[in-house]
Amino acid sequence: MKKLIAGAILLGASSMAFAQPGCGVGAMIWKGQSGIAPHVLAATTNGTFGNQTFGMTTGTLGCSTNESIQSMAMYMDSNIDKVARDMSRGSGENLDTLAVLMGVEEADRDTFRKTLQDNFASIFPSSETTSGEAVDAIVALMEQNDALSKYVAA
Amino acid sequence: MGNLLRLGPALFTLALTLSAQAETRTDDEAIYQDPAWLLLGHYQPDTWSDGYTSQADDPNFFLSEHGKHSPQAEFEATLEAMRQPGGGDQHARCRFPARTAWLEERIGLSLPEIECPAYDTWVDTLNTETVTLVFAASYLNSPSSMFGHTFLRLDPPSDDQETNLLLASTISYAADAAAHDSELLFAYKGIFGGYPGITTVQPYYEKIRLYSDIEHRDLWEYTLNLTQDEVDVLLAHAWEIQDHNFDYYFFDENCAYRLLALIDVARPGTNLLGEVSTHAIPSDTVRWVVDKGLVSKVFYRPSAATSVTYSLSTLPDEQQTLSAAIANGYVDVDSEEVSALAPAERARVLDATYDYVRYQSEAEAWPREFAAPLSHDLLRARSTIDDAPSPEQPPEPPIRDDQGHDTFRFSLGAGQLDHREFTQITLRPAYHDVLDPPAGYRSGAQLQFLRMDARYYTDNDELQMEKLVGVEIRSLSPRNQFFSPLSWQVGFGGRRTDTGSERVFAPYLEGGAGGSWKLATGTQAFAIATADLEIDDDLRRGYDAAPGADLGLLFQSDQLSLMAGAKTKAWIVSSQHRQDQAYARANWHLGREFSLFAEFTREDHYDRYQSTWQAGLHAYF
Repeated sequence: MKKLIAGAILLGASSMAFAQPGCGVGAMIWKGQSGIAPHVLAATTNGTFGNQTFGMTTGTLGCSTNESIQSMAMYMDSNIDKVARDMSRGSGENLDTLAVLMGVEEADRDTFRKTLQDNFASIFPSSETTSGEAVDAIVALMEQNDALSKYVAA
Repeated sequence: MGNLLRLGPALFTLALTLSAQAETRTDDEAIYQDPAWLLLGHYQPDTWSDGYTSQADDPNFFLSEHGKHSPQAEFEATLEAMRQPGGGDQHARCRFPARTAWLEERIGLSLPEIECPAYDTWVDTLNTETVTLVFAASYLNSPSSMFGHTFLRLDPPSDDQETNLLLASTISYAADAAAHDSELLFAYKGIFGGYPGITTVQPYYEKIRLYSDIEHRDLWEYTLNLTQDEVDVLLAHAWEIQDHNFDYYFFDENCAYRLLALIDVARPGTNLLGEVSTHAIPSDTVRWVVDKGLVSKVFYRPSAATSVTYSLSTLPDEQQTLSAAIANGYVDVDSEEVSALAPAERARVLDATYDYVRYQSEAEAWPREFAAPLSHDLLRARSTIDDAPSPEQPPEPPIRDDQGHDTFRFSLGAGQLDHREFTQITLRPAYHDVLDPPAGYRSGAQLQFLRMDARYYTDNDELQMEKLVGVEIRSLSPRNQFFSPLSWQVGFGGRRTDTGSERVFAPYLEGGAGGSWKLATGTQAFAIATADLEIDDDLRRGYDAAPGADLGLLFQSDQLSLMAGAKTKAWIVSSQHRQDQAYARANWHLGREFSLFAEFTREDHYDRYQSTWQAGLHAYF
């Protein structure tokens, strides 16, 4: 099941390069969008652009063999602003999505949420933090936690 | 003028032609004329002959070289290809799993088992139990988004703790426009064809990012009651069309149209395509899906803009001021004013302020040097507050977009223009004006297409085109301490204009920009600077232009909508006269099917006063 989910997210985003722990830099948080000017006619006529692009990053595949971490890195890369927000609140659907991607079971979800909220400042030490750095920090935190370390074992 | 009059009935017929094309024939029982087969091949009966043409514009979608125009040739070629020995991803049975399944059932075709690795992996990965139709609603200050957009979400089984809808895949059909094409080229190719339409599969979180975060559009999720078998057929057919080109046309063969075809294939006999006439407005297609009883439940997902507006509005006044001060950098996140608040209140202020800063960064392009450090401070401060309740979600609007009034309006009225009596008929194929019943529409937003007003003057038995609107867009969005949107309007068409001696029909172009302020719930005051241009050889110099102003009040409610104000225009090229108007218009809504309307205008132009009044009935269908 876990494999399916990780596969799905990779399938959906297969055209994107993405960040890896220790490999790619990843999207910088609050980088914002560029080049997505609203297309008045596109909106009027319910057309859309097939080739929408989202927060792009650098990075190479294959640095982590752990598919969960890969898919978390992938998700963080395009949703870092919202993940950071949910993390600071200790709740929210983007945080739950991270838990799903990491395969964190129901019983450990509270620990997962609490650990990330309490360590927000070390996961995002500055406003220049990239998603790659945040993923590294999350993995490191989980490794040190008795309940969570099993989810990041290589 | 005569041409314009003839256009009226033509438009009317155009807008009312329902389903004539989509009906299937029953005079021949041949299998290749089975509606299900025609659907699978996207065949439509030709208008001028008794043949068929497929909407697919890709030779690879057909197994016969005559497939585009011959359901029979395609049927025979398909049957032949299915029976070929071998297997693998390139086998016809793997390329066309929905056709295969249909043939097996319809004619009892029995085929040996084969492996389709690519298709099987695709289906396993999508892991779909139910299908949800997602409708991206319009955004307040963007009436051009009023038509909405639709796509399908493939939901995994819901009894699984790893179920997560943000990760669910979506299927959408979109014009693959080249990013460097200009708006004009975009419009031209969109209407007359030229863009390939492609089916794409994307995770839902990317759709949310686009519609909810960037375009500020609320999402309505309509879970369909398709059975597992029907879902499987839908996926199989999506696989058949996903890499093939169907030329994209904005008005009919658009995003919504192709999804209707998928649902029709999944549940034969549904015939949603039969509802399509000249255009398939996504919000209308949602109505059809609801009317055909395909929906099991509806979920509302407010956009980032809706959420932030709501959470700011639920803060007490002094906290709103504090939030605005933090967002603008006047008050520090670590200041005493903030830390003095009780933890739960502090959490609410920080949450709302963060969402607001993010919104402004996306919508108003606040510079990153300012917004990013502030965002970081806000989240860091927030992360130290444990167990605060998560922010309250905006309530679901009581009336959904698909439950608002129907978009075609027919009006019959009678009135007087300077003591001459007339009867007026108005046809408006789409979409909404600010005095129509507001439920299900954004307040202050107006979008009208191809509206035609024709008058019959009883004193001299004269039939006159009074006004023909090409497009008219108006957006009145109130400003407050957090948001300062521009209210604006633009329109073109033809209308009667007074030359001093007669009323001539002249093409016009008008526009305006200004502000609007909320006075009370449902009431706003607006001030707009306007510009008008009229062209006609009866005008002294062939054209005339007028800067002007429009000041007024707008009240909208489910029972009554009212607009009153004063307009002034200074015609500066030909007539060099001022035109001043006081106007009042009211619509009394009888449910969402009918409105009684009355309007009165008093005008001072060419140094004489003139009154126009009219009253009548609007019907929406």
